Amino acid sequence: MLNTLFSALQEDFFLRALLALFLCGISAACLGSYIILRRMAFISTAMTHSILPGVVLAILLGFSAYWGALIAALLTAAGIAWISSRKGTSEDSAIGVMLSVMFALGIAFMGLSHSWRDFTGLLFGSIVSVSTEDIAVILGTTLIVLFCLRLVHKELELASFDEEYAQLLGARPAMLRSVLLILIALAAVASVRLVGALLTTALFIIPSTTGVLIGKNLKEVMFWSVVCACGGGTIGLILSYSFQGIPAGAAIVLGCAVPYLIVRIKNN
Amino acid sequence: MSQNTSHWRKLFSGAFNNLFPAVPYAASEIHHSEYLAAEIKNLTVNIRPQSLPVFSNVNFEIPLYCKTALIGPNGSGKSTLLKTLAGLIPNYSGEIKLFGSEPRLGRSRIAYLAQSPQLNPDFPLQLKRLVQMGTYAHHGWFEECNHADEKVASALKLLELEDLVDRSVHNLSGGQLQRGLLARAAVQGAELLLLDEPYAALDTKSRDIVENFLFQKNNSFTVIMATHDRADSQRFDRILEMRDGSLKIVHACTGHKNHHA
Repeated sequence: MLNTLFSALQEDFFLRALLALFLCGISAACLGSYIILRRMAFISTAMTHSILPGVVLAILLGFSAYWGALIAALLTAAGIAWISSRKGTSEDSAIGVMLSVMFALGIAFMGLSHSWRDFTGLLFGSIVSVSTEDIAVILGTTLIVLFCLRLVHKELELASFDEEYAQLLGARPAMLRSVLLILIALAAVASVRLVGALLTTALFIIPSTTGVLIGKNLKEVMFWSVVCACGGGTIGLILSYSFQGIPAGAAIVLGCAVPYLIVRIKNN
Repeated sequence: MSQNTSHWRKLFSGAFNNLFPAVPYAASEIHHSEYLAAEIKNLTVNIRPQSLPVFSNVNFEIPLYCKTALIGPNGSGKSTLLKTLAGLIPNYSGEIKLFGSEPRLGRSRIAYLAQSPQLNPDFPLQLKRLVQMGTYAHHGWFEECNHADEKVASALKLLELEDLVDRSVHNLSGGQLQRGLLARAAVQGAELLLLDEPYAALDTKSRDIVENFLFQKNNSFTVIMATHDRADSQRFDRILEMRDGSLKIVHACTGHKNHHA
């Protein structure tokens, strides 16, 4: 395995992929900690899947996929808020409706373009083709996510643990939830190139689920989530490099599941 | 280097708070020279617009430092009254003045403790951090709350929780958690404690500790405590009874009994 790693590290594309993985892993794991602790896994899945129509439409119209994805994610968040505010529809159902509708819209746009092959990278990820420009965008996104999380760290911690007390102190839990959703959308956009729209959600959820099993407080949960995302992702990348048939995105997600299985078995 | 970081942090924090003036919940209140902690006139509360009022035309005053028991059967509106005073229920008519101002969220002088606090059972948090959260009321963006260690230690000591600081809040008993939440209110610097059935989950030892905390001489709290058990109200200066949608004063005193006694 070490030989494979050393030989992989000689390759430029592998180094770029590793850098992209670490940057995405850091932002996804930090956000993932809040997602898991606040029981928001379903809404984060909706946000990561719903960026598909935005990305497809942006590529078809010839502008940046990142802007397309961001607009789609914001529309999804607004749609969920609007539908769930109507009488008779719970937020859970609203998330399910928006997830399905947006993903179906993405597939419809793909069909209209008559070029499915161009979009397989979007669905399943294409980490080997990560360019220097992509790295710059991923780095920018990670910095924005970390900066915003630092900015509202104690407010998010408070609102995640005791929403009523946060409200009493005037810390605006509803606004903080919106901030969190926007950051999830941003980080999801950055991760699409890595693991694809179908599996992006795994990068947020699996490492943080492991982190929650190990950490005794929020800082420890975040630390272990990042370790599991970067460590597990690296195992996946090496797996994909060793066995050429396995797509990198799927291998990264499988790699992220390794620390979870180890911790789960050890805890049992 | 650390001085430079601190300088930029302060500068940025100031600029951020100027940009988003609605968010700085840390803003301190101006202290008026008041004699009344609470002044309620013709208060009627509807949980939802168009619904029947939970109670109507309620009038009472609570002097500073007065310990008031709010008694009444289940469903009489005690919790609703406390939540309204805390600023959590905006649908009311009439006049409420707490330390001279209308109820609103973001007031560090007022603490509200629900009967069953809705804490996230998945969130890993140690008792010390829970109590430290009380200082959030006095901090702006970017500021960490760790420097209030003395205040936190003194509140933990007062409520006899020093040995449990590193314990997860989810492994505390109901009474220990209730005391932890009271310690948080003390660290917050709350002057008006709105307590909803705080004795409900307490064993004799915890109850004694909480009573000592609430009724210690020279403390600077005004307390309004809801209870359905009339026996709980024995040590209180003032007793208000809620029944059938209205409120009557059962027992009233000058209100300064415990202060500077």
